[in-house]
Amino acid sequence: MDFRDVMEPKYRELLENYIKDQSEQALYAGQKFSRKSIEHKISPEEIVSLHKSLLMQMQPDLPENVLYSFDILLEVMIGYGLAYREHQSLRHKQEELRSEMEIAANVQQTLLGTKIPEVDGLDIGAISVPAKHMNGDYFHFVQDENNCISVAIADVIGKGIPAALCMSMIKYAMDSLPENRMGPGSILENLNRIVEQNVDPSMFITMFYGMFNPENNLLSYASAGHEPGFYYDAAKKEFTELSAKGLLLGVEKRTKYSNYHKEVHPGDMIILLSDGVTECRTDDGFIEREILIDYIYKYIHLSAQDIVNKVFKDLEKLQHFQLRDDFTLIILKRKV
Amino acid sequence: MSIQSCVTIINEWDIVAARQLGRNVAKELGFGTVDQARITTAISELARNIYLYAGKGQICIDKLFDGGKPGVKISAIDSGPGISDIRQVMEDGYSTSGGLGAGLPGVKRLMDQFEIESIPGDGTKIKATKWLR
Amino acid sequence: MNLSINIKETDILLEISVEGEIDAYTAPQLRERLFPLSEKNGVNMEINLSGVSYMDSTGLGVFVGVFKNVKANNGQFKINGLSGRLQRLFEITGLSDIIDVNSQIEGEVK
Repeated sequence: MDFRDVMEPKYRELLENYIKDQSEQALYAGQKFSRKSIEHKISPEEIVSLHKSLLMQMQPDLPENVLYSFDILLEVMIGYGLAYREHQSLRHKQEELRSEMEIAANVQQTLLGTKIPEVDGLDIGAISVPAKHMNGDYFHFVQDENNCISVAIADVIGKGIPAALCMSMIKYAMDSLPENRMGPGSILENLNRIVEQNVDPSMFITMFYGMFNPENNLLSYASAGHEPGFYYDAAKKEFTELSAKGLLLGVEKRTKYSNYHKEVHPGDMIILLSDGVTECRTDDGFIEREILIDYIYKYIHLSAQDIVNKVFKDLEKLQHFQLRDDFTLIILKRKV
Repeated sequence: MSIQSCVTIINEWDIVAARQLGRNVAKELGFGTVDQARITTAISELARNIYLYAGKGQICIDKLFDGGKPGVKISAIDSGPGISDIRQVMEDGYSTSGGLGAGLPGVKRLMDQFEIESIPGDGTKIKATKWLR
Repeated sequence: MNLSINIKETDILLEISVEGEIDAYTAPQLRERLFPLSEKNGVNMEINLSGVSYMDSTGLGVFVGVFKNVKANNGQFKINGLSGRLQRLFEITGLSDIIDVNSQIEGEVK
């Protein structure tokens, strides 16, 4: 049955009950009525009008000036009714936007998807979690015909949708780099020219590019202003900073990037991260890089993928499950 | 068939006159108190827009009889600056967030039919109709 | 989160001091204030960040943008008052090699 048809007798009953004995029970029934009337989109001015007309029926000798007062109440309530309906419509719009964002995030996932390569002698783990819907971090693996494994980790300055759009361009640029073997430095030089030409002048990208050759176990790498990763020396049980000098992509067209080299021994690990990892904010301030090392060390006996997953879980908890920035952590471990 | 009467809007008192005219017509046609209040609120909003943004204009009230069904048509006509982005002013939250009242989306909600035409530099014409149910 | 931006202009120098946190929420405000100033020809801009308790990469983006504008308009650009953490941010990103940061003589009393 339509609520509007039963609304009048229902409200009448409520009113009669309450006028009779002023019980809490009658008031509770009134609260339940309001839930129903809101559900059926009855506006406040309609309730006021209903109230007035029922009152006139039930108390025919009510003084006129009391009845007039309801006209003012009705007029005032019209504005509230409109505000409420506008609120409903805005909420609906917000829902639409949210689902649109979710679709966009899925598209981005597909667009930027990369497969972690399976290589003899190398154990690779990677995790990347956006702070909001869209991820401004990006990582990419390539295995070339010489079995070299390349890994790129990048972070767009800025967050959310603009950063994500920018990242899609970088991925496209990387896919269209010439196939012939270039060192990490020249790859960054190429990307820098593309970013400098095509991206908004206040949008920049940091990137670390590493290339591991399983034949001689040599890691070559270069960095464009990216948060330095770590190198774990298994023999010495020691972490050192994997630092490399280089300017952000997109600032200066003619920037040169140097190549750095490191020999990777069995059990050694290459740890790459985005600044969302080091900018974890906890109750006591930022986590220090040493603390991060402690977390990694705690899980060092596990597989690379388990380490990154567990470190993320721990840091997520430390921040009370609120990420302020996109979080990406990659570990490459040379098998013993 | 339609019978028209108009109020010229120059100052705030004219808004009240337009409301009164609309209420009388609505009452005469048999609209209930809630719909009377809705129609006058719509008139208020349109008249206020004229007073605030155009400086001068007219509110006209028509009695309509469509196949025996009565209705009220409000027309708001001004030759003010006009509206360059109608889509924006018709968006929820645009006028309410600035504390400007229910705005045009509110008028549209209060009435059954709503039409707007505006030429920047030339003026704005809004027609809104409510039918007796 | 609050950000306050103080601008002191003399004939030869545009001194800007920023206080508070610079992140994705406050960076647009900073950008709006600084960009128009950076587009004046031959501007001599000096930014003091000693009152900045936190800055993320969004803030860095604003300063790089401003720096590029100032350079394109033949101006001078300098940032000082960087905390250790911010100094590191400028070093990692390679920006300290192209932007004049914390260049005042060490031990200078302000």
